[in-house]
Amino acid sequence: MSAGEDIVVLGGGLSKFARERPDGTPVDWMVEAAIAAMDDAGVDPAEIEHSLVAYESEILARQLSMGQVIQDALAFCPRPSIRVEAGGGTGGAAIRTAYAYLKSGLCDSMLVVGCDAVGRGVTSATVREVYALSGDVDFEMAAGGFFMAYYALMMQEHMRLYGTTEEQMAMVSVKNHRNALSNPMAAMPMEITVEDVLASPPVVAPYKRLDCAVLADGAAAMVLATRSWAEAHASAWRDKPRVSLTGVGCGTERVRIGDRPKPYPGLAHYRAKREASRAAYAMAGITDPRRELDVAEVADTYTGAEMQAYEDLGFCDHGQSGPLTARGVFDLGGELPTNTSGGLIGQGAPPGAMGLAQAIEVVNQLRGVCPAERQVPDARRGLTDIHGGTASFSVVSVFERRD
Amino acid sequence: MSDLVSRKLDVIENADPMGRGPDDPWRDFRTVERLDMELHFQFKHSFGKLSPFFLALEERRLMGTRCTECGKVWMPPRVHCGDDLAICEWVELPGEGVLEAASLSAYTLTTGGGEDTLVLGYVTLDGADAAMLQQVRNCDSPAPGLRVKAVWAERPVEHPMQLFWFEPA
Repeated sequence: MSAGEDIVVLGGGLSKFARERPDGTPVDWMVEAAIAAMDDAGVDPAEIEHSLVAYESEILARQLSMGQVIQDALAFCPRPSIRVEAGGGTGGAAIRTAYAYLKSGLCDSMLVVGCDAVGRGVTSATVREVYALSGDVDFEMAAGGFFMAYYALMMQEHMRLYGTTEEQMAMVSVKNHRNALSNPMAAMPMEITVEDVLASPPVVAPYKRLDCAVLADGAAAMVLATRSWAEAHASAWRDKPRVSLTGVGCGTERVRIGDRPKPYPGLAHYRAKREASRAAYAMAGITDPRRELDVAEVADTYTGAEMQAYEDLGFCDHGQSGPLTARGVFDLGGELPTNTSGGLIGQGAPPGAMGLAQAIEVVNQLRGVCPAERQVPDARRGLTDIHGGTASFSVVSVFERRD
Repeated sequence: MSDLVSRKLDVIENADPMGRGPDDPWRDFRTVERLDMELHFQFKHSFGKLSPFFLALEERRLMGTRCTECGKVWMPPRVHCGDDLAICEWVELPGEGVLEAASLSAYTLTTGGGEDTLVLGYVTLDGADAAMLQQVRNCDSPAPGLRVKAVWAERPVEHPMQLFWFEPA
């Protein structure tokens, strides 16, 4: 590649996200997603130079070294491969790693495939217990802590500081479940009301069942390449609107919320997202994200987490996410439609796949090929935000249409 | 279904999740057999350099650490400072502090002590510069700013973090 050359997204594909996929294994789903992505890109699988496997917790699938297992299943041997893991932020880490590999010249084309099997093949109690191991084990997990509770405590502080309400949070759930209605890959498409959310069973205050993303099975895959490789090898480069990855940033945070500096981020804010988005915006030349972005997929592990993300991604000031949500700023037809796919709440949340699924939605929005119900008119620039832990690891990516 | 395989859980005739009917490319592969499997680990789990904190809990003492460079007091303790990497020293903290935030949880882990619900809160102990997560009990309205005190278990527990919790002071 030549210096300064664009990194382009040639295609993406999903294997259906669902509460349970008894029809196969994670390997089966990753192969399905990879085939769909390579079809979308219009590339010969034998010509792709490198693979990247994004997977968080394959122990839950009674398998280790998933990167090597998938490479074999994809008929990619003996080509090079890398496996990436960053908790819930795995898909974001995958995109950023792909960018680095392509920019460095280690390869000029890459298949990125991500998955996790956290549906009902294991009990949700087992998943909660295993995922608690990705936070502080000796103090917090041992005291009875787990991730739902950490997120809930962060939102309690946001409510105390800014008066954010459970009704405003419920509006995010209504939006994301509704957006998923036109997404055949989504696990949780639903037409629900604010009252339905408020009346759903309590989980950890302030969160109720319908405030939460659902554990899901599913896989996602993308093909990324340098522009010169794309010109020579991909029919999508000739036949489809062109989309480039123009910014990607990463930020980190202390694992325990109580250890985080005050007043910022304190208990209520995501400093890692601010760090990651600032880096991505600098690369992409963005100074006013709410106006310069047309569409965004934001990490909605919980409704409140999506609202907190708006603030630290610079879509609005601290404390403004509630009022802006109530005004419909982030709805379809609003100023910055967010989680048009349904997000983690509506589409589902298999950790290794969800960051890639966000990017695929944004690319389809920029190509103008989403179903009419959720297509953002003339979308030119979009963002993805995904994190691991309580955003102790965060990646923000910016995609732009180029024509 | 034969009983020749003792761990056989079920055999499922799956529909295509994408509903492609006769065009389903995977139509030859829709019958799935599942086994009932489990994975069990046993650990010699070490608290490492932080072990004195957990041992002190058995004496009803709460030990934080103080950075020998910047003076910041960490609770939960850190062996070296989370800000400047200097090696810390042990410092005993009083068993009282301020509740920063609290949530009632309808879910518990196996580490939760067997209760159906619990209240988890972040408490900054007097003299500490960070907040620690712990259970809050016997409190009708665990509001931020509430003064709380450590209360100690009377009976043996499985894990040292179950030796105490917080209640209104």
